Amino acid sequence: MSKRTLPRLLQTPAVILLLVWMIVPLSMTLFFSFIRYVLNSARRPEWTAPSFDNWRGFGNYEYVLNNKDFWFAVQNSMFIVVSILVITVILGLGIAVLVNRTFPGRGIVRVLLISPFFVMPAVNAVLWINMILDPVLGLNGVAVGGINNIVDGLRDWPVLGGFFSLWPQFEPISFRATQTSPYAVIMMVAWQWTPFAVLIFMTSLQSEDESQKEAATLDGASAWSQFINLTVPHLARPIAIVVMIQSIFHLSLYAEIEIVSRGNGNKNLPYLIGEFSSNNIGAASATGIFAVILANIVAIFLLRMVGKSLMD
Amino acid sequence: MAIVARSSKFSRIMWPTVAWIVALIFFFPIFWMVFTSFKTDADAVKPEFLFSFKPTLENYFNMTENYDYWRFAANSVITSSFATILALVVGVPAAYAMAFNPSRHTKDILVWMLSTKMLPAAAVLYPMTFLTKNMLGIYDTHFLVIVVLCLINLPIVIWMLFTYFKEIPKEIIEAGKMDGVDTWGEIKDILIPLAWGGVASTALLCFIFCWNEAYWTVRLTTTEAATLSKLIEGNRAPEGLFFGRLSAVSTAAVGPIIVLGWFCQKQLVQGLTFGAVK
Repeated sequence: MSKRTLPRLLQTPAVILLLVWMIVPLSMTLFFSFIRYVLNSARRPEWTAPSFDNWRGFGNYEYVLNNKDFWFAVQNSMFIVVSILVITVILGLGIAVLVNRTFPGRGIVRVLLISPFFVMPAVNAVLWINMILDPVLGLNGVAVGGINNIVDGLRDWPVLGGFFSLWPQFEPISFRATQTSPYAVIMMVAWQWTPFAVLIFMTSLQSEDESQKEAATLDGASAWSQFINLTVPHLARPIAIVVMIQSIFHLSLYAEIEIVSRGNGNKNLPYLIGEFSSNNIGAASATGIFAVILANIVAIFLLRMVGKSLMD
Repeated sequence: MAIVARSSKFSRIMWPTVAWIVALIFFFPIFWMVFTSFKTDADAVKPEFLFSFKPTLENYFNMTENYDYWRFAANSVITSSFATILALVVGVPAAYAMAFNPSRHTKDILVWMLSTKMLPAAAVLYPMTFLTKNMLGIYDTHFLVIVVLCLINLPIVIWMLFTYFKEIPKEIIEAGKMDGVDTWGEIKDILIPLAWGGVASTALLCFIFCWNEAYWTVRLTTTEAATLSKLIEGNRAPEGLFFGRLSAVSTAAVGPIIVLGWFCQKQLVQGLTFGAVK
C-alpha cells in the first residue's frame, strides 16, 4: 500500500456518504421539477407516478413563477430573514461590548445570555406563541391589562386626568393572524439567535488590539468614536459571518413557522414546499430548486471566506 | 483627566447593571417556562395569579400520562447518541487523514463538505419521503433518524475535529510511525488521548444539534421514532388549556441541553463558524 492510499481510504466513507446524501435526493428533486407529478389526480392517473413520459419541461417553473403564493413566500422569507439579521447584529454588537468588560457576576451573565440558543426550536415557538404572546392568556395580555389599569388610575388625577381620559383602552395584539405572525416568528428567532451573535462578537473582541484603544483614549477619542472607528472595523469579518450563517439557517426556517402560523397564510419558502408536497410534487420540486439557488447565493460568499481562513 | 475619571466611575456601576438587566430579560422566557411548570393548568392561565399560586410537582409526575414523555425522550436520547457516535466513527479517521496527510484537494474537500450543509432541507423533502417510504421502507425508524442526523452534522464534526487535530504537532505522529505503530494504533493510542478535549466537545456539540433538530425529525417520523421536537410540535396549540403541563414537558425537553450547552460555549463558536472566527 503506497503512502497516499491509506489517508484516502480513511476519508472515503465520509466522502461517499456525503456525496450520496447530496446527490441522490437533489437529482430526484431536479427530475421531478421537470415532469408532471401530482399525487392525487383522478382525472390523469398516469401523473401520480414519476415517469419520463410526463415530461413538462420548464412548465412547473412557469407555474411556480406565476403563483401568487410563491412570490408572497419569497417576500415573506426575505422579510423574516432580513429583520432577524438586523435585530441580532445590532443587539449582538451592543451586548458583546457590554459583556466584554470584567464586572461582578460576568460568568453568570454570560450563562444567562447564551441559554436561549440551546432551546429547541419547537419549544421556543410553543413557549412564545402561547405563554408570552397570547393576547388573553399570555404575558402579552397581562402587560397590556397592566398598562390599562395604570391609565385608568391616572384618569382620577386632578389635572392630568382630563388628558388621560382621552386615551383609549389598549387592546393586546394577537400574533396568530397572517399580518402579525411574521413578527412573532421574528421575535422568537431573534431571541434565540442574538446569543449566537453575542458569542461570536465576544470571541472576536477578545482578539482586539487593546493598545490601539489606549492610544485612542490618550488622544481624547470618545468611547463612541472608538467603537465606530476601531471596534466595528475589527468586527467586520465576524459580522459578515454571522450574517451569512444566519441567512442560511433562517432561509430554511420551518418549525417556528409551522407552529406559529399553520394554516393562517404566513408562509415562507420551506413551508410552501411542504404545502405543495402534499399533492403537486412538480411544483414543490421547482420551488425547491429556487430555494437551493437562493441559499447558494449566500453560501458561495460564506464558503469563500471560510476557505480562505482554512489553512492558516 | 478629571472628566475621564468621573465618567469611568459612573460607567463602572452603570454598564454592569445594564448588562445584568439585559441578561435577565433574555433569560426571562426560560425562567417563565420553568416557573409555569410548577403551576397547575388552572393557575397557569390566570393572569391575576402571576406570582401567587401553590407550587406543585404534579405536572412532572404526570408527564408520562399526559404526553408519553419518556418514550419520546428515549427516542431523542437513542437517535442523538447513536448519530453522534456514528458521526465520530466516520469523522475521526477522515479528519485524521486530512490533518496529517493533506493532499492538494484536502481544502476543496472540506469546503465541499460544508456546502452540503447549506442545501435547504425543504428542497429535498419529497424525494426523502419517497425514498424512505416507498423505496427503502425505513420511514419512521430509528435507523433513518440516526443516519439523517449523522449526515447533517458530519460536515461540522469533521470540520471541528480537523481544526483540533491540526494543532497537534506532526512529529508526534511521525514518531509513532517510526516505532512501527499502525494507523489504527496511531488514532487510538496517540491521537485520541492528545485531542481528547477536542473530540469530547465535538461530540457534545453534535449531540446538542441532533437533539434540537426540528425539520427531518418532524417530517420523517410519525410515532415509532418520533423525538421530543415532534412531541412539542404536535402539541403546538393547546389554546391555553394546558400551559402547566406543557411547560413541564418543555422544561424537561430543553433543561438538560441548556446545561450541556453552558459547557461548550467556546466550541459553539468554532463549530458554527467553521473555524473562521477565532
